[in-house]
Amino acid sequence: MRKMLLIVLSVLLVGTFVAGASLAGDKLADIKAKGVLVAGIKDSLPPFGFIDQKTRTIVGYDIDFVNAIAAKLGVKVELKPVTSATRMPQLQEGNIDIIAATMTKNPERAKVIDFSHTYFFTGQKFLTKKGAVKSLKDLAGKKIGTAKGSTSEKNAAKAIPTATILSFDDYPQAVLALTQGKVAAVTTDESILAGLLSKLPKGEYEIPDIRISDEPYGLGIRKGNENLLNFVNKTILEMEKTGEAKRIFDRWFGPNSDTPLYRTFTITADK
Amino acid sequence: MGLDFHVIWDNLTYFFIGRYPHGPLGGVALTFYLAVVSCILSFFGGLILGLLAISRNRLIRYPSEAVIQFVRGMPLIMVIFWMYFLYPNLMGRPMPESQTVILALTFFTSAYMSQIVKAGIEGIPKGQTEAAISTGLTHRHTMLHIILPQALRNMIPSFVNQFVSLIKDTSLAFIVGVSELTMVATQINNRSLIYPTEIFLFIAFVYFIFCYAFTSLSRYLEKRLAWAKAI
Repeated sequence: MRKMLLIVLSVLLVGTFVAGASLAGDKLADIKAKGVLVAGIKDSLPPFGFIDQKTRTIVGYDIDFVNAIAAKLGVKVELKPVTSATRMPQLQEGNIDIIAATMTKNPERAKVIDFSHTYFFTGQKFLTKKGAVKSLKDLAGKKIGTAKGSTSEKNAAKAIPTATILSFDDYPQAVLALTQGKVAAVTTDESILAGLLSKLPKGEYEIPDIRISDEPYGLGIRKGNENLLNFVNKTILEMEKTGEAKRIFDRWFGPNSDTPLYRTFTITADK
Repeated sequence: MGLDFHVIWDNLTYFFIGRYPHGPLGGVALTFYLAVVSCILSFFGGLILGLLAISRNRLIRYPSEAVIQFVRGMPLIMVIFWMYFLYPNLMGRPMPESQTVILALTFFTSAYMSQIVKAGIEGIPKGQTEAAISTGLTHRHTMLHIILPQALRNMIPSFVNQFVSLIKDTSLAFIVGVSELTMVATQINNRSLIYPTEIFLFIAFVYFIFCYAFTSLSRYLEKRLAWAKAI
C-alpha cells in the first residue's frame, strides 16, 4: 500500500516538473499563433496595477506597458493577477508569457528568469513622521515596517543592522502601524511610498532623502525565449524614443497624479 | 477618528460582482459560488470517502485512510497552494484559478466529512444491520436503505458545522490571487489605504450574514426531517 502511495506521489511530483520544462520553444511565434499575450500583473498595487473604481477594470503603469507590447505584436492581452509568491513559478510553468508586476531585477532572480531592460527605476526610501528622521542613524535600534517577501526586507536589514524589521502582509498594514506609532518608519520603493504618503494626513509625514538601494524594475520572461525577450526590449526602447514611455509615466506619476515623482531615468539598453 | 462608510458605497458593485461582466466574476458572488459548489461536491466526496474508509476490503480501506490522514495533516492554505500548481499540470493546460480552489476546498473538506460519515454510520446500532441482513438484504442494500437514511439525519449538525467552516475557508483563496471577497477587500484597501476598519468590518458582516443564513436554513431542515425519527 505504501508502495502505491509512493508511486502516485512521485508521478504527481515528476509531472509538475516535466510539464514545466517541456514548454520551451519559440514563444514569440506561439503568442502570435494564440493571438493572446498572457501577462502576470498585480491587481492591488496602485499605481502599477490596480482596479479602477469606476470601470472596475485593471489599470496602471505595468498594464499600459503590457498593452503597448501586445499592440505592437498585434495580439490581445489577457491579464492574470499574480502575487509575489506565484509570479515566478507561473512564468516557469508557462501559464503566463510575461511578468509585469513591479519586479526588481536582481542577480538571484536573473539566474532563473530573464529580465528586459529596466522599464521603471526607483530606490528604496523611508516613510516617517515629519522631522523624525534626518539620517540613517536616527533609525538605529528602531522598529521598521515593510511587506513580506519583498526585497525591501533584506535591504533594510543590511542598511541598519540594529533595527528590528517587522514584515507585514501588505503595505497598508505597515502604514497603519506607522500611524499608531508601532513602527518608526515604513520602508520600500519610493514609488510605492509616494502613493502611501498621498493618502496620509497632509504635512504630518514625509519621505526623507535617504536612499538605501536602487530598484530597477524589469519585465520577466522565461529563460530560453530570446525571440520574445528581444522583441520586448526593442519595443520598450521604441516607446522611449517616441515619448510613449514618458507619457505612461506622466499618467501615473505626473504632477497631477496621486503619486507625483520625478522621472530620473530613461529606458536604455542596459544589462 | 469616526468611521466613514463611503468607501463601501462607492465600491459596492465591485464588492459584489468584482470585474464581471468585463472580466471574471469576483467579490461576494464568487465567494458564494466557491462555497456552494465546494459544499455540494464535498458532501458527495465525504460520503464516498467515508464509505470507502469503513469498507471491509483492506485494499480499499487502507489507501482511503491514508488519503484522509494525509489531507487532514496539512493546512488548507498549503492544499490550495499545491493544487494551484498541480491541477493545471495534471490536466496539461492552464485551468481557471477558481476551479483549482474549488478542487482544493473539496478535497480538504471531504477528508473531514468522511470522518463525520464514518462516525454517523458507526453510531447506528449493530442490531439494525444484523436484522436487515437476516431479512435477506445484501450489504449494499442494507447500507443504502437502512443505515444511511438514519445516519445521514444524525450527521446534519456536524455537516452544517463543516460547511460553515468551508464558507469561511474560501477566504484563503486570496493566496493564489482569486478575487473572492477577502481579496477584493484587500484590493480596495490597498487603493484607498485609510479605510481598513470600515472595509474589514463590512466584509466580516457579510461573512456573518452568509453563515447565519446557512445555519438557519439547516436548523429548518433538521426540524423538517425530524418527524421520521419519531416513528
